[in-house]
Amino acid sequence: MSETNIDIVNKGLGKRYRAEKRFRIYGVCAIAASLIFLAFLFISISSTGYTAFQQTFIRLSVYFDPEILGDTTNREGLASANFPAIVKQSLFKMFPEVQSRGEKKQLASLISSGASYYIRDMLIENPDFVGETIQVWLPADDDVDMLIKGHSDRGLVEAERRLNDRQIDWIQQLEKDGSIEKRFNKIFFTVGDSREPELAGIWGAASGSFFTMVITLLLSFPIGVAAAIYLEEFAKKNRWTDIIEVNINNLAAVPSIVFGLLGLAVFLNFFGMPRSAPLVGGLVMTLMTLPVIIIASRASLKSVPPSIREAALGVGASQMQMVFHHVLPLALPGMLTGAIIGMARALGETAPLLMIGMVAFIVDVPSGFTDPATALPVQIYLWADSPEKGFLEKTSAAIMVLLTFLIAMNALAVILRKKFEKRW
Amino acid sequence: MKGKTFFAGLGVAAALTIGAATFNSNAIARDYITVVGSSTVYPFATVVAEQFGKTSGFKTPKIESTGTGGGMKLFCSGVGVQHPDIANASRRIKKSECETCDKNGVKEIIEFKVGYDGIVLGASKKSAAINITRKELFLALAANVPESSGAESLVPNPYKTWKDINPSLPANKIEVLGPPPTSGTRDAFLELVMEVGGSEFAWIKALEKADKDKFKSICHTIREDGAYVEAGENDNLIVQKLDANPNAFGIFGFSFLDQNTDKIQGTSVEGVAPTFEAIADGKYTVSRPLYLYVKKAHVDVIPGMKEYLKEFSSEKAWGEDGYLSEKGLIPMPEDERKSFSNAVQTLKVLPCGELK
Amino acid sequence: MDANMNPTMLLLTILFLSVMGFVMGKRRSYAVANDAGGVSGLHSRPTYYGSLTALWCAIPALIIFSFWLLFESSIITNLVISSLPDQLQNLPADRLNLIVTDIKNIVNGNIVSADPNPSLVAAAEHYKKLNSLSHASLTVIVITIAIASILVIQRTINPKLRARNHVERVVKYILIACSTIAIFTTIGIVLSVLYEAIRFFKIIPLSGFLTGLEWSPQMAIRADQVGSSGSFGAVPVFVGTMLISAIAMCVAVPIGLMSAIYLSEYANRTFRSIAKPLLEILAGIPTVVYGFFAALTVAPMIRDLGGFFWLDVSSESALAAGLVMGIMIIPFVSSLSDDVINAVPQSLRDGAYALGATKSETIRHVVIPAALPGIVGSVLLAVSRAIGETMIVVMAAGLAANLTINPLKTVTTVTVQIVTLLVGDQEFDSPKTLAAFALGLMLFIVTLILNVIALVVVRKYREQYE
Repeated sequence: MSETNIDIVNKGLGKRYRAEKRFRIYGVCAIAASLIFLAFLFISISSTGYTAFQQTFIRLSVYFDPEILGDTTNREGLASANFPAIVKQSLFKMFPEVQSRGEKKQLASLISSGASYYIRDMLIENPDFVGETIQVWLPADDDVDMLIKGHSDRGLVEAERRLNDRQIDWIQQLEKDGSIEKRFNKIFFTVGDSREPELAGIWGAASGSFFTMVITLLLSFPIGVAAAIYLEEFAKKNRWTDIIEVNINNLAAVPSIVFGLLGLAVFLNFFGMPRSAPLVGGLVMTLMTLPVIIIASRASLKSVPPSIREAALGVGASQMQMVFHHVLPLALPGMLTGAIIGMARALGETAPLLMIGMVAFIVDVPSGFTDPATALPVQIYLWADSPEKGFLEKTSAAIMVLLTFLIAMNALAVILRKKFEKRW
Repeated sequence: MKGKTFFAGLGVAAALTIGAATFNSNAIARDYITVVGSSTVYPFATVVAEQFGKTSGFKTPKIESTGTGGGMKLFCSGVGVQHPDIANASRRIKKSECETCDKNGVKEIIEFKVGYDGIVLGASKKSAAINITRKELFLALAANVPESSGAESLVPNPYKTWKDINPSLPANKIEVLGPPPTSGTRDAFLELVMEVGGSEFAWIKALEKADKDKFKSICHTIREDGAYVEAGENDNLIVQKLDANPNAFGIFGFSFLDQNTDKIQGTSVEGVAPTFEAIADGKYTVSRPLYLYVKKAHVDVIPGMKEYLKEFSSEKAWGEDGYLSEKGLIPMPEDERKSFSNAVQTLKVLPCGELK
Repeated sequence: MDANMNPTMLLLTILFLSVMGFVMGKRRSYAVANDAGGVSGLHSRPTYYGSLTALWCAIPALIIFSFWLLFESSIITNLVISSLPDQLQNLPADRLNLIVTDIKNIVNGNIVSADPNPSLVAAAEHYKKLNSLSHASLTVIVITIAIASILVIQRTINPKLRARNHVERVVKYILIACSTIAIFTTIGIVLSVLYEAIRFFKIIPLSGFLTGLEWSPQMAIRADQVGSSGSFGAVPVFVGTMLISAIAMCVAVPIGLMSAIYLSEYANRTFRSIAKPLLEILAGIPTVVYGFFAALTVAPMIRDLGGFFWLDVSSESALAAGLVMGIMIIPFVSSLSDDVINAVPQSLRDGAYALGATKSETIRHVVIPAALPGIVGSVLLAVSRAIGETMIVVMAAGLAANLTINPLKTVTTVTVQIVTLLVGDQEFDSPKTLAAFALGLMLFIVTLILNVIALVVVRKYREQYE
């Protein structure tokens, strides 16, 4: 009895099916591994960052003492008025037992040093507050904030804490009165950078990123698409186009810091553009994202089937008309996707900005393309390097904001892809 | 047709952007101060800048963290609005830099010392506190150390654990995270710890007079076999790495110790713990001065320059109870403060010849 | 009319004129079409006549505009210098340069290095006058040319004019110009690092840099600090880079490739449309975030794990940085390979199934070999991405340049060295800082070689299925 071929096949079949199953499992594992990692990253960032969206405030009844303030009707008077004294006075009124100078200083340090600016802004808005007592919620100092949020341990020995026993007593007293509470951190979303964690916000960095991205989008998309059209539709395959192609692929891989060096040499030193400006940042990012957009756009042009081109040419369109009237509209969704992915990468980029002066402490929110500005990832980098503990959660929160933008951009790309994607 | 109109619109937008970008950016009047330089001075300069911006009515100065060398390069590239007004430095300006400045027209520089930065050796709270001497640190970190027999010759550093150096120290692997050779902190550490530690050996100390180059090469060459980990300029990262690795030590600025007292303890050097008071009155000797360099030509022209310097040199900023000390800057003694605040008010120019 | 417009205004004026030119050209073509028996009698459609007018209105004006602004300042400077008093003119070049800076500062920034000398103030006045004269004449010339060219084109418009061909040629040149920007960027990159790199190689010989086995930039950062050694052998730095990239590829290639295969061959469309963008997010996360993760979570974990097996693991092991970097570049491999695998025609698969192959056998023996050139291309792109990655290694990999291929030891990479050398406290013109530029140049050359290899490989083995 000799074995027939089918027997040999059948014998191996179980093994082959098992191999099939294993192969499939490898695939699932690979995807699961990356997704688990992604989830892990998100969770670890959110768990440190979410507390930054709340901020500890202390309620004070502030008496706008005309004697301390002096004349506040004009600008000079406002500028020289002693607002910190107003804040301190209201605080001391809450704890009349505090008398010695040292203790008073410790008590005053519970309130953020920026609280007086809030009082000042209130007074500028309502000049008739002078002489009145008003209940105000003022931001607490970052050490208090950390304590309330549970980031620093009350159980430690006094010497190892940022706050001493007296200060913790006062805080407990405030807690009992309900005069201290966590509220939504509006400051974080509305102001620029600060060296006090409780006063620092990301709006400045976000606007900087916005201006940078506007320049990048306006320049890199048209230029990238134009270059892709030429290379894909018009260029003959010769040495010259080979050079361009190698170049573009190479630029896609050049480390981003080298683009920073380029920006420093060309835009700042040669053209004399201002340092730290989103304009220059945008130009550098343009050069960086161009290759990505060109590569994506070429792929997208390639996916338009030849039949479209032949039909257009067949009814007498010129090559230019064929491309612009028929191929380009069909390839545009893919190009947009590429552009969005390129922009997302540019949005998260820090290294090139280091060279062109955008890694800087800038408090004022930029309002134009030549104002000094930072960008979101730079802000993350700077906060991560700050000694104050409060910046730890701010760093994570800023990362969360940046990730939200990135996910939104990626989602837009997916929607565009889904909506316009055609299967040929 | 749609594609074409869309494209034409984009093209016009691009052209306009390029045009406006290229031609509109020449020499715009500047109404804020620009500061560049050291990342060590950055946390202090920014506090002053913020205070100044919020209280004075002037715009908040822009402060870049470029490193001292890069900052000096920018600072010295010329006078005019496109160049920075102030350079932060974690070391004194060098003669060559001053000469570059002079060549580029930055003739008058005002030197302004703002205070001291303590350099601490820290470790995780989870490890036992130890007391160390500079000699032991030298033995632990130098690339070549004197033979243990006492002979006057060097051998490649044989010490693997702290216990090998001094039996009273723990038996942990020597692992110190510190700044790279490009850092001013490293420079100060070499001078203040390694040189002093090396000088504990009489024959090395004798070299200091006889053959200075040899002396420096003994004391300044840090081992590269993994015991000293060059950890970059991010001090926060060092702090967090220490927290994750209880057996390691780290070298970083005092302000990071001050902010992380719940995680990190400062290691006592020769019995003196790195506390604010000990550094301020000079008992803890490992600290280095921080400087600002100001272009005199800009003082009257850029709005707010004088006021910014005044804010920096006011008692409420750099004084003993000032807000800078809260951020970890060690104030200068009172007479030194007075002399520098005078120098700033009279705009006393620093002659290049005085420098090394 | 104030003839002295600022450049932006002038630019807008040119734009406005060319829009006007478009409208006029179109109208003109309708007018001539009436004589030739309607629009169909024209050679091109009316829009092309409009575009032609607009293009010829804008292009010459813009060219003159840019060249004018490019050379304006040097010409004016020379004129001002020649009008300076003799004793100033005869100064050495760098002193003269300073005086010119002073004059320019008086003109715009108002910052002057010393008390302004009356002859300088006079020169500044002269400069200002020349400057406004130049701007005024530029405005007049540009606007005249723009209007003149509109009028000339208007005259030449006739039904026989081949406007479309003309416009198309111009558009094509614009397209070509856009595609050469990549070349200019490359040239710019090379030039911006080359000068400093050459200065570096004057101090440290090229051969020593390329073959030296020790990297230890412990050079003096002050003049009196002579003793320390400084050796600039780039080999350990490049070996470190290769080691970390290799580890990263060991993570990214299997995971990325298997993900791509699963997504393109097994997964249904809904799963694919969700999982693919999720994977792509991995590439978009700021690298600072990965850096923190690598330094604070992965590195201590690996160290403790190593301690468990009695291995000597450094806290800044190459393994930690490499692993995290590998995760970051998974999407580079998976997305591109996914596209390539999708492009393999279904007929090949059907053929394999018909012969009785299981799905995995088809993939391993038919699909992957067919897609291999594209996969290699995507892997090489990922490699160059790994080599160029900065932030992760800055935070996690440390700076000690050990010449080792042990992944548990600390190594350093090119990008880390560039960053630390550039932002350090040392003097900027010292070999330490210049070394950053030399490393940048080397890195650029290495990635260029990798890409040329990738291109050749893809070219050579690309299968054409259509």
